[in-house]
Amino acid sequence: MVKLRAKCVVVGDAAVGKSTLCQMFRSDGAVFQKNYTMNVGVELLEKSVSIPDTSDTVEFYIFDSAGREPFADACENMWKQPSVVCVVFDISSEVSFTSSGRWIDRLRSHCDGLHVPGVLVGNKSDLAVRREVDGAEARAWAQTHGLEYHETCAREIGQFEAPFLSLARAFHSLYQDQMQIVQSLV
Amino acid sequence: MLDAALSSYGAHVVLAISSDENHPPENIIDGKTETFWISTGMFPQEFIIRFPDNMNISTVSIHSYNIKRLRIEKGTSEDADKFEAVADTEFEQTESSLQANDISVNVSNTTHLRFFILSGYDHFVSVHKVSVQS
Ligand SMILES: Nc1nc2c(ncn2[C@@H]2O[C@H](COP(=O)(O)OP(=O)(O)OP(=O)(O)O)[C@@H](O)[C@H]2O)c(=O)[nH]1
Ligand SMILES: [Mg+2]
Repeated sequence: MVKLRAKCVVVGDAAVGKSTLCQMFRSDGAVFQKNYTMNVGVELLEKSVSIPDTSDTVEFYIFDSAGREPFADACENMWKQPSVVCVVFDISSEVSFTSSGRWIDRLRSHCDGLHVPGVLVGNKSDLAVRREVDGAEARAWAQTHGLEYHETCAREIGQFEAPFLSLARAFHSLYQDQMQIVQSLV
Repeated sequence: MLDAALSSYGAHVVLAISSDENHPPENIIDGKTETFWISTGMFPQEFIIRFPDNMNISTVSIHSYNIKRLRIEKGTSEDADKFEAVADTEFEQTESSLQANDISVNVSNTTHLRFFILSGYDHFVSVHKVSVQS
């Protein structure tokens, strides 16, 4: 049984649904906040997930950051040495998708040159009629940036878990790879 | 006593975060490089080795993998919470072998050494053997 610990930094434009996604994940869907409360700093949340087909778990330390400047800027000193990263945009806002590249660049500068698994989340998939970002285009973009793409409706059970589970699996598989290397050396 | 197992002298690892039950922190001081303790994510990582008596230590030898920056601090039995930095170093990355480093610390009358791993060349770092020379 292995308990991994992962620092997960969550970024993206203001009001795309980062806090909703994180709170829903942390509370297993119990806490949905309809009213928007803007982050002015980093909110730290803890949540463990089991890796399917193993007895191992990943304990996430989620750093839910502010999207709006200058608050985002002030969050940046909390982003050091992330284990995994999550960039969120709103599928009904082209602007928020365009920003994703900038967010990922900012995060990468805190990664110390390590390979850090990441996901791109297209949130608010329920707003299909107001969709401004093509899913296939977002997926292709994510791929070129080494991110796994997920579309979610943060308020729906069965949706907000997927990005985190995929991050947990990726981090767990890095651990297994590293373990194999170490064991081959001794 | 550079090559002896510290545990045979009554030393203990009294604190280590991280948890893979197959690779417990005692592996650090069993004198073997084949067994190891491995971190399970996030930096910094820390572990403390406690000695049964006051020690004079000139050099700490450490076999590890993927450690980048390491700080060593000494503690005394009079004040268990008080630690003082005695070394701050950056290891070179190795690929097909363990990192083997001798760190000069020159401490006298110490009962605890605290190891702070501040960064790594990977998310996960392992420590295979720590030994000391008086
Ligand atoms: N329709 C819809 N609304 C959502 C969804 N997720 C979040 N919202 C709403 O979007 C608004 C903003 O959500 P937050 O989670 O606070 O946004 P944020 O990204 O944390 O914003 P900042 O903290 O300012 O960076 C809230 O009113 C949420 O209820 C979703 O999947 N669909
Ligand atoms: Mg928020």
